[in-house]
Amino acid sequence: MNQTKLLVDVESVSRKFPLDHSDVIALAEASFGVERGEFLAIAGPSGSGKSTLLNLIGCIDKPTSGRIHIDGVDTTSLSANRMTELRRNKIGFVFQTFNLIPVFTAAENVEFPLLVQGVDAAERRKRVAEALESVGLAQRANQRPDLLSGGERQRVAVARAIVHRPALVLADEPTANLDSRNATQLIDLMRDLNRRLGLTFIFSTHDQRLLEHTPRIVRLTDGHVVSDTTQEGGSHEQVLASSLS
Amino acid sequence: MSKFLLLAFRNVFRNRRRTLMTLLMVGGGVAGLLLVGGFFARMFWGLRESTINDGLGHIQIFTAEHFNREEKHVLDTGIDNWRQVSSAVSSGPHVKGVAPRIEFYGMLSNGVKSGVFMGSAIDPSAEKSLDFTPGVTSGRDLDNNTSGDAEALIGTGVARSMSVKVGDGLTILAVTADGALNGIDVQIVGIVNTGFKEVDDRYLRITLPSAQRLLQSDRVTNLVVGLDKTESTDQVATELGPKLRGLPQQLILKKWIDLAAYYKQVHSLFSTIFVFLGIIVFFMVLMASVNTLLMTMFERTREIGTMLAMGTPRSWIMTLFIVEATLLGVMGAVVGVVGGNLLGLFLNHSGIHLPPPPGTTVPMRFSVQFVPALMIGSSLLVILSLALASILPAIRASRLQIAEALAHV
Repeated sequence: MNQTKLLVDVESVSRKFPLDHSDVIALAEASFGVERGEFLAIAGPSGSGKSTLLNLIGCIDKPTSGRIHIDGVDTTSLSANRMTELRRNKIGFVFQTFNLIPVFTAAENVEFPLLVQGVDAAERRKRVAEALESVGLAQRANQRPDLLSGGERQRVAVARAIVHRPALVLADEPTANLDSRNATQLIDLMRDLNRRLGLTFIFSTHDQRLLEHTPRIVRLTDGHVVSDTTQEGGSHEQVLASSLS
Repeated sequence: MSKFLLLAFRNVFRNRRRTLMTLLMVGGGVAGLLLVGGFFARMFWGLRESTINDGLGHIQIFTAEHFNREEKHVLDTGIDNWRQVSSAVSSGPHVKGVAPRIEFYGMLSNGVKSGVFMGSAIDPSAEKSLDFTPGVTSGRDLDNNTSGDAEALIGTGVARSMSVKVGDGLTILAVTADGALNGIDVQIVGIVNTGFKEVDDRYLRITLPSAQRLLQSDRVTNLVVGLDKTESTDQVATELGPKLRGLPQQLILKKWIDLAAYYKQVHSLFSTIFVFLGIIVFFMVLMASVNTLLMTMFERTREIGTMLAMGTPRSWIMTLFIVEATLLGVMGAVVGVVGGNLLGLFLNHSGIHLPPPPGTTVPMRFSVQFVPALMIGSSLLVILSLALASILPAIRASRLQIAEALAHV
């Protein structure tokens, strides 16, 4: 893999959690790279270290050893404030339980990352409308999360994750709380955004059916990367080419 | 920033029942302070005005000697040319009138029994012009125009101990300005209840000419100045100063507050009680709010984790909690001010009477005064209390570990 093109570079990353008088190894010597425009799934059973790995890539946790570079920046050496800045500007998050702010409408939820970035009101309105349009929820902009279905909430979460045009979108088990139809639709939506906008997606899942059309899969078992496979019909070069055309 | 405030505002109403309970608690604290403070303010006002109108006046003029040395004889330190002084003072703005007084003491006798009195001599016309009316329970007030026997008002305690009533006669004995013993006969024209038993047991009042005849002196002890309103006291006192200079006797002014020892004691006592009450309310709101806000923080742990994950500065999270608590405080203060004033209006029209305060014999009507400064002060107190209460939850929220917060169930 060409090191200069890597958006995410995970180098021998381990994460241990202290438990009583010993350490639990959640991730052991994981290494792989992700290029710009990739659509990558991290697969594995529960407890295999998927969420830990996403937390480390997402700069919301620090590895016990090893290094992670995001867009050429060594995140393991960053201060807390710089990590906050990096998350704010370069990363979008989608969570298993949607994690929308319940007192905000769909549009206000999507607007929140732009608010944190200090984007002016007119630009915020424009980008929120675009983001909601891109996930097919323009008509539901003024609904609060409790009036949306599970699938709609997760699409709002996706819109929130992409509205500030991050370099990387991390989705931790985004389909775990959705039925199979909504789960498939969500993965299709993410794949579509990946193709159309050239966004880099890394998502974790333990649902084998969702992996069928995922171009690249990194498999974890007991914190170890056991395989890193690329399937036909969806390479990131094709994605980048289609998003640029 | 407006969206941020909107978020804080909406968060306040997230758990409506809890918010309602908090508002009732905060509002109750404010209303309680307003009612108690308003009652105290009304009481202070009433005590101030009754103290002044019962004869203290707004300003009193004495000779400087009166405070510098003990009198060898009665009126030894009295004012000589009091008519001239009175005339000069009366011409000033806000001055309703000037009443000369003689304070003296001696013995009373009904021929069978004797007793001690603390007497005052007054000019009935001057007193009436200042609306100084003694609480005559039977008979009438002193009158300048009557001829014949000297008249006297006595306290209820004196009447009881001497077994006399209106129309009866008494002999007053006192030491004159020359140090001799003198006596005059007086006719009781009225019996007075001042509300203070200790005063009523020694109370005697006669007219100025009678006292001057008894004491063999043309001097007066002091001059009492009555004003159109109490708030003018400081201004008039400042203006009167120059008028009193250059006279044969050195005269000094005393404002009512300098002479109203009882008022000052009551004011000091009840002000301390009110401050203590304020401290209790402050800590009550503080402790209850810390608990509520910590619960709120705990319930929103995952949401805070999400906001932090999206790159929200930790200072924003802290500010959010403080703003939410402050908003809650403002709303609680509004509830308290509105509720307290409505309750105050209701109580003012309910005609409730309280037992007589210590040392008095007249029941006190329960009345609440509406004091804007008290409303502002009580509101600021609870707002500050809630803002302080939010600091601990705000710090905890801002220091959450993101990964742990996101995994919070």
